[in-house]
Amino acid sequence: MEFFERFAIPHPSAPIYASMVAIALTIVAIIAGLTYFKKWGYLWREWLTTVDHKRIGIMYLISALLMLFRGGVDALMMRAQLAVPDNKLLDAQHYNEVFTTHGVVMIIFMAMPFIMALMNFVVPLQIGARDVAFPRLNALSFWLFFMGAMLFNISFVVGGSPDAGWTSYFPLAGNEFSTSVGSNYYMIAIQIAGLGTLMTGINFITTIFKMRAPGMTLMKMPMFTWSALITNAIIVFAFPVLTVALAMGTMDRLFGTHFFTTNNGGMDMLWANLFWVWGHPEVYILILPAFGIYSEVISTFARRNLYGYKSMVVSMVLISFMSFLVWVHHFFTMGQGALTNSIFSITTMAIAVPTGIKIFNWLFTLYKGKIEITTPMLYALLFIPLFTIGGVTGVMLGMSAADYQYHNTMFLVAHFHMVIIPGVVFAMLAGLTYWWPKMFGFMLNERLGKLAAWVIGISTLVAFMPMFFSGLDGQARRMYTYSASTGFGPLNMISFVGAIGLAVGFAIIVYNVYYSVRYASRDIGADPWNARTLEWATHSPVPEYNFAIVPHVKSAEALWDAKKKRHILFQGDYEKIHMPNNSGVPFIMSSIFFVWGFAMIFSMWAVAIIATIGIFACMAHRSVEIDHGRYISVRKIEETETKLRGAK
Amino acid sequence: MKELFPMKQIMGFVFSLMLTVVALAVYFLNMSFAMGMTILVVTAFIQAAVQLVVFMHAGETKDKGAIYTNVYYGVAIALVTIFGTLLTMIWGYN
Amino acid sequence: MKLDHSLPLEYRTEEGQLKILGFWIFLGAEIMLFGTLFASYFTLVDRVGSGPSGAEIFEITPVLIETLVLLTSSFTIGLGIHAMRLGRKKAMLSFFAITLLLGLAFLGVEIYEFVHYVHIGAGLQTSAFTAILLTTLGTHGLHVTFGLFWGLFILLQVKKRGLTPETANKSFIFSLYWHFLDVVWIFIFSFVYLKGMM
Ligand code: HEM
Ligand SMILES: [Cu+2]
Repeated sequence: MEFFERFAIPHPSAPIYASMVAIALTIVAIIAGLTYFKKWGYLWREWLTTVDHKRIGIMYLISALLMLFRGGVDALMMRAQLAVPDNKLLDAQHYNEVFTTHGVVMIIFMAMPFIMALMNFVVPLQIGARDVAFPRLNALSFWLFFMGAMLFNISFVVGGSPDAGWTSYFPLAGNEFSTSVGSNYYMIAIQIAGLGTLMTGINFITTIFKMRAPGMTLMKMPMFTWSALITNAIIVFAFPVLTVALAMGTMDRLFGTHFFTTNNGGMDMLWANLFWVWGHPEVYILILPAFGIYSEVISTFARRNLYGYKSMVVSMVLISFMSFLVWVHHFFTMGQGALTNSIFSITTMAIAVPTGIKIFNWLFTLYKGKIEITTPMLYALLFIPLFTIGGVTGVMLGMSAADYQYHNTMFLVAHFHMVIIPGVVFAMLAGLTYWWPKMFGFMLNERLGKLAAWVIGISTLVAFMPMFFSGLDGQARRMYTYSASTGFGPLNMISFVGAIGLAVGFAIIVYNVYYSVRYASRDIGADPWNARTLEWATHSPVPEYNFAIVPHVKSAEALWDAKKKRHILFQGDYEKIHMPNNSGVPFIMSSIFFVWGFAMIFSMWAVAIIATIGIFACMAHRSVEIDHGRYISVRKIEETETKLRGAK
Repeated sequence: MKELFPMKQIMGFVFSLMLTVVALAVYFLNMSFAMGMTILVVTAFIQAAVQLVVFMHAGETKDKGAIYTNVYYGVAIALVTIFGTLLTMIWGYN
Repeated sequence: MKLDHSLPLEYRTEEGQLKILGFWIFLGAEIMLFGTLFASYFTLVDRVGSGPSGAEIFEITPVLIETLVLLTSSFTIGLGIHAMRLGRKKAMLSFFAITLLLGLAFLGVEIYEFVHYVHIGAGLQTSAFTAILLTTLGTHGLHVTFGLFWGLFILLQVKKRGLTPETANKSFIFSLYWHFLDVVWIFIFSFVYLKGMM
C-alpha cells in the first residue's frame, strides 16, 4: 500500500476525480473500439511504425490539436476564476497548477508540434524530396515528443501537477517549496520531448541542405522552407541549453545537488538565466515558421512574388543569431547592474528591426497585389495589425528601466499573448487551412473558416487588450484572485468574455472540419488555391513517394513559373523509387522512454535502470541491423499515378 | 607500414603535444592570472582547430561550407552564452 | 544505390553523405551542450559553500595521464581512418582497438579520480562547485563510456562485414565523435583543471 501512496494526488478535488474517470473511460473506449473494429493491425502498420514524413506530420497535427484543447480548458478555468473579484472557483494551489500546465502545454506540447506538423508535411514537398534525410529518426522524434507530452499530461491525475509556473523558477521549483512530484514531471517530460525536438532540428537542416530538387539553390527555396531551415538551426543550438538546465534541475530535485538551491553555494538565478538562454530563442523558434507561412499565404493570395525575398532571408538569418543575444530582458529586475541591463535592452530593441523589415515586406507584397481574401489570407491580414501591437509592447518591455514597472504584471501577459496568438496561432490556423487540401484531399469550408477567423481575431483583442490596462494599473500575473476594491473586476470580466469568444472560434473550426468531411467536394485537383510552390505540383492527397518524377526547378516560385512561363518541372520517365522501410523501434524505444521517465519521476530506481538498459538495447539493435529499404516498381508508380489521374 | 603513418597526422599529434606542454606552463611557472588565461585560451583554441582540420577532415567535401558555418555558429553562440552568463551572474551583478 | 567512386568509401552513398553532415550538425548541438556546462561551471566555480575548492582537490598527475591518453587515442583513431581509406582493414581494426583500449584507460583514471574526490569530501551533494564539476566531467565521461560501446559495435561489424560503404561510414562518424570528445577534453583540461590549479 505504501508503494501506491506516492501516486496519490496531494491536492485533490472533484473535477480532478471526474477527469480521472473520464480518462479511464476514454482509454477503455479506445481499446474496445480498436479491438471491435479490428484496427490494431492497421494502427500498427500504417501509423505507429510509419516513417513517412506526411503521416508523421499528421500525427503531430492531431497531438497538437489535442493539446490545444487541454491548454484551452486550462485557460478558460483561469479566466473564469479571475472574471470576478474574490472568486472561489479555483483555490490558490489549483490556480498555480493550472497556469503552469497551461503555459507548458501551449508552448511545448501545442505550438511546437504544430510547427513540427506543418514542417514535416510541407518542407519535403516544397523542396521536391521523397522524404526527410533520416526518416526513422523523424519517427523517433515524433514518438519522443508524444511520450513526453503524455507523461506531462498524466501529472494531474497521478502524483500531482507541477505548480511553479511554465518558467519553473528555483528555489520555488526546488524540493523545499515544491514537495509533490509535480516539478519532477516538468523536468523529465520536457526533457524527453526536447530530445525529440533536437533530433528534428538535425534532421531538417540536413534535409534542406542536401535534398533539394535539382536547380533549387538556397536562394530559390520557398520562404517557408527558409524559415524552417533557420528555425531548426535555432533549435539545434538552443535546445541543448534546455537539456542541461533540466538535467541540473532534475539532479537538484532527485539527487540532492546544489545547483539552484539557496545554500551550499547554489545559485537559484542560474536557472532563470539558463532557462531564458533557451527561452528567448524558443519564442523565435515558434514565430519564424509562422512568418514563413504568412509569406507563402500572402504571396499566393496577393498573386505576386514575395517582395524583398533577399531581405526576408537576411532578416531571418539575423534574427537567428540575435535571438541568442537578448535573453536577459526576461529578468531585468533580478539584480544585475545598469550596464548589463542596458546592453541587453539595446540588443532587445535591435531585434525588433529585422522583425519590422519583414512586416514591411509583407505590406509591400500586398500593395498593388490582386488580393483575394481566403481564410488563410484573412488570418494573415488580421495578423499584421494585431502582431504589431504585441511587438511594440515588447519593445516597451525591452527598456529595462521601464520594465521594472511592467515586469510580472498582466501587461507582460498581454504582450506575449498578443505576439503568440496572432503570430503563432493564427499562422498555424492559416497553414492548416491552406495545406488541408494537400493533406486530406478536400478543402475546409471557406464561409465557416472566415467566420472562425473573425471570431478568433476579435476575441483575441477582447481577451488580451484589457490586460494591458489592468497590468498598468498594477494587477500582477499569476495571482489567483483580487479584491473588488482594486477595480480590476470589469477589465477581467471583459477578458473572460474574450476567452469565451476564442473558445467559440475554435468550436467553429471543429464544426468546420466535421462539416467539410461530410460535404466538401473531393474533386479539387492538385492546386486548388492556384499556388506557387512545388507541394502543389503533386496530387492531393500526396502519394507516398511524393513526386513520381523528381522536379527540376528554375526559380523560387517553381510552380507559378511552370504555369505562367511554361517552365517544365517534370522531365523523363518513371524510375523505380527507393523508399525507407517502416519500423516499430522508434515507437518501442519511446515507450521505454516513457517508462523511464515515469520511474525517474517517482524515484523508482530499479525500474529506471531496467528502462535505461532497454533504451540502449534499442540503440544497439539499430547499430547492428541491416536495412536497405525497399523499391517501388515502375509498374506500381504507373498504377498509382493513373489512379490519381496521373498528370505527369 | 610507412604508408599507415601519414606525415600530416604525425605532425598534428606532435603539435598537440607541444601545445599541451605550453599550456602546462601555467601550472609549473608563476605568472599573473591574465597571462595564464591568455596562454590557455590560445593553446586550447589552436588545439581544437588542429583536431578539426587535421583529424576530422572538416574541409574535405563540398559540404565544407555547411560544416564550417555550423561549427563557427555553434562556437560563437556558446561564447555568447558563456560571457553573457558571466556578465549577468557575476561581473555585472550588484 | 548510387555510388560515386571519386570519393572515399564512407561518402559513396548519398545516405552516407547525409549521415556525415547530420552528425556534424549534431556536434554543433554538442558544442552548445558543453558550452552551457562551461557557462554554469564558470558561474559556480567559486561557490564552494562549506566544501573544498578546485585548487584543494585537483591533482596534476591523473589529469596529465588522462590528457595524454585521450590525445593519443585521438591520434590513433585518425590513423585508423587513414588505414580505412587505404583499404587496410586489419590495420584499421588494430588502430580502432588501440583507441578503445586507450579510451578504457582514460575511463579507469577518471573513475579513480571520482572515487578520490568523493573520498576526500567533494561529492555530488557537497556544494554547487562540486556538483557542476562532477556533472561537467561526468557528462564528458559518459560520452566516452557510450563511445566505448559504440566503437566496439562498429569494430565487430567491420570485422564481420568487411569494409563496405556502410561500415566505413559508421566508422568515420564514430571517429568524428571521438575527436570531438578530445576537443572537449582539451577545454576541460585547460579551463577546469589548469585554470583551477593556476
Ligand atoms: C518585437 C520583438 C519582441 C520584443 C522586443 C519582446 C520583448 C519582451 C520582453 C522584454 C519580455 C520580458 C518582459 C518581462 O518579463 O517583464 C518579453 C516576454 C515574453 N515574450 Fe516577448 N518580445 C518580442 C517578441 C516576442 C515574440 C515574437 C514572442 C513569441 C512568439 C514573444 C514571447 C514572449 C513570452 C512568452 C514572454 C513571457 C515569458 C514569461 O515571463 O512567462 N515575444 N518579451
Ligand atoms: Cu524574450
